[in-house]
Amino acid sequence: MNEQVTNQKKTSESREFITAVFSVVWKDLRIERHTRQTVSVMVMFSVVTVIMFNFALESNLDAARNVSTGLLWATILLAGTLGLNRSMALEQENQTMDALLIAPVPRNAIYLGKVISITLFTLALELILIMLFIIFFNKPMWRPMVLLILVLGTIGYIAAGVIVTSMTIQTRSKEVLLPVLLLPLALPLVLPASMGVAAYMFPQQPVWSEVQSAIFIVIIYDILMLTAGFLTYRFVVES
Amino acid sequence: MIKLQGLVKQYGMNLVLRGVDLHVGAGEFVTLVGSNGAGKSTLMRVVATLLQPTSGKVQIGGWSLPKQAGRVRRHIGLVSHYSLLYGDLTAAENLTFFARLYQLDNQEERVMAALKKVGLYARQRDAVSTFSRGMVQRLTIARATLHEPDILLLDEPYTGLDQDASRLLDDLLRQEHENGRSILMITHDLSHGLNLCDRVAILNQGKIVCDVDSRTISPADFLDLYAEQTGSKKKVASHE
Repeated sequence: MNEQVTNQKKTSESREFITAVFSVVWKDLRIERHTRQTVSVMVMFSVVTVIMFNFALESNLDAARNVSTGLLWATILLAGTLGLNRSMALEQENQTMDALLIAPVPRNAIYLGKVISITLFTLALELILIMLFIIFFNKPMWRPMVLLILVLGTIGYIAAGVIVTSMTIQTRSKEVLLPVLLLPLALPLVLPASMGVAAYMFPQQPVWSEVQSAIFIVIIYDILMLTAGFLTYRFVVES
Repeated sequence: MIKLQGLVKQYGMNLVLRGVDLHVGAGEFVTLVGSNGAGKSTLMRVVATLLQPTSGKVQIGGWSLPKQAGRVRRHIGLVSHYSLLYGDLTAAENLTFFARLYQLDNQEERVMAALKKVGLYARQRDAVSTFSRGMVQRLTIARATLHEPDILLLDEPYTGLDQDASRLLDDLLRQEHENGRSILMITHDLSHGLNLCDRVAILNQGKIVCDVDSRTISPADFLDLYAEQTGSKKKVASHE
């Protein structure tokens, strides 16, 4: 009998958790639908960066192709910080974070909701970036493994980014602090992720053993950051 | 409903609340007044589960803070001078979001009923950023009472409101009080502080220095009492 009650309680808590996560996602997507501010800023920045590099390296097309994977990740990281800042700043306007915090929802549900919505915005940006890289650098970006690495890398980066942004957003120099703290933290993710993507940039596909360690490191980073976020977000937002 | 015993809150070396004792009974409306820096907002944030007390006992609806904060949250609604609303969402979307967050039943009906209650039904599809300050504050009350909390916490709710908007807010608060909600309001506006409440307390330098039945004291006498307790009379005299 007791076990049944405990199971029912757990099911109800899980349902409440999932509802809270998707309420936050729903709210962020609605705001984006009305304003189109987060994705459009990220896309504008990325388009300008890619075009600028394309013209700068026009005379040396081979060099452009060689650095394109690094350029892709650098653009994602920097555009990602814009998205993170914008999305978390939304919760500072009118102190809406307080409204989230006095609601009877677990803090890690708010964290996960934020991670999902900002990841979705960043993935939308990456779709556009992939098109641009195919057009400008003639790279075979539209490959399932490239897309998988991009998705995994984005999840890890945003998972780390939401924790760091939640801390920096309350400071006066948030625009400076976020990249200073986040980019070094993202280095263990970006190096294997860009190596993984680079391996797929040749006409012949690499064998699995060549990329598996890079992909595993990215997956481990994702798990570590999501776990850290789950365990620490409460202290980050309540301090 | 709300019971504070020896509540202390300290930020680093700064002692903001120095042993606050306060009780708000079921269905009671208590106003806490005090000058800037008296610790009013800190006290409200502790009661609203947004800050943890350094020491002392805080009981809300029988549950202790900060241990049982999760349970307390379902029973409180907060109205602050910030709207706690998303300016880019419409009025209906804002309330729908909070209805989802609180996992309420019959969400659509509740949202529409709340909008009607505060007179914003016709503006349900408009973005909150297009609303006047008075309309925003009415929507804030709708948000704070959407889940029918037992306790309503009001933190300087009259900030930035003109006379008409203040009167409308008075009516809404009176209605909430008649519905049996316990209300704790903090304000530095003495006239509003005294009008609606059952009891009024004065917070000065992190301590409750006076707690009186508002029906037994005239506004003029209360002003004198406030000046005496907070030393504001002396300050004015010394400036003169």
